Amino acid sequence: MIMTEPATGKASKPSPPERKVEQETPPATVDESVLVDRARRGDLGAYDELVQRYQQRVYATVYHMTSNHEDANDLAQEAFIKAYQALKSFKGGSSFYTWVYRIAVNKTINFLKQRKNRTHLSLNDLDFNAENDPDLVALTSDKTPRREANLTELQEKLNEAMQQLSEQHRLVVTLHDVQGLSHEEIAAIMECNIGTVRSRLFYARQQLQGYLSDYLK
Amino acid sequence: MNPESQDFEQLRRLFAVKRHEQPPPGYFDRFSRDVIARIKAGEQGDAAPANAGWIQKLWAILEARPVFAGAFGAAVCAMLISAILNSESTGSVPNPMNPAMTQAGGAFAPASTVAATSVSVNDNAALASGPILNANPADTASLQQLFDFNATQPNLQVAPVSFQTPAGN
Repeated sequence: MIMTEPATGKASKPSPPERKVEQETPPATVDESVLVDRARRGDLGAYDELVQRYQQRVYATVYHMTSNHEDANDLAQEAFIKAYQALKSFKGGSSFYTWVYRIAVNKTINFLKQRKNRTHLSLNDLDFNAENDPDLVALTSDKTPRREANLTELQEKLNEAMQQLSEQHRLVVTLHDVQGLSHEEIAAIMECNIGTVRSRLFYARQQLQGYLSDYLK
Repeated sequence: MNPESQDFEQLRRLFAVKRHEQPPPGYFDRFSRDVIARIKAGEQGDAAPANAGWIQKLWAILEARPVFAGAFGAAVCAMLISAILNSESTGSVPNPMNPAMTQAGGAFAPASTVAATSVSVNDNAALASGPILNANPADTASLQQLFDFNATQPNLQVAPVSFQTPAGN
């Protein structure tokens, strides 16, 4: 395309370095749909970028569902691999993020159904910020029965309580209370209506209150 | 604030523990690399059998799906058993159901053939003294009647036989 320079009025072509700058736009700013299109055409670099964008959230969901790092690692990786293989069938009706989440969640629920009664916790360590978290400081310093409980014990009890919930209830609690997703997002991932999400969340919280009553007085 | 929501608020604070659970350091640095490596390995695994022989393709399919392996094993066993049964049935005594063995009238074989067989096998003396094939229609008819299992069986009777020699010999 021929362009006119405002200052000189001479016709000129866009210089190659400018084009190069355009191509070297930082990957973080590339639109998700562009990356999906490129990945669909077999561009593994684009798919790598998509994986990096969502790996933490997908892993965290699966981890909080299984309470087992090794299982979460396998399931999260398999979810991304399956998503890549099924990318051609991705219509774009929802975001890639919701779609890959759904794949991971379905995989995890199937896995948990097969694993039933063989729960083995393999918990991740708490990060160094945990001791300074105001919520946790309050939980471990009040003069209540939980006062003597250290963070590791709390972590264990909480994960055990989570494993007592059904898969669907655990999923709602994980997505809402741990990961902070909205009811609408959860409904899209679980393919149910918002009312169902709310009622499941309420029931799950009630159950957890019962299991963790010693820590909630 | 009602006590129930107060309790949920405490529960929400407890969930802060979960938010601080982190995988080993550097885990996410290699996560996407592992995923991409597994995707590449899968693609290479899919592409390799296309160039391989049919045995390798079959092996790849059987290896991937245990159900197919079981079905394949069962099919091979079934073929083996049917082959054994089939070979036993073809190696047995002439089968009356075999169309090659049946002739007009329901007899196993034509009389001339039977006569020839009986002569050639049993009686060397007959070979030396007389004609090998008996073309007499009356004789062939009696032989045919003898071997004709479909025809009405003759009324056979048992009669006492005396082996006493006449007096005076």
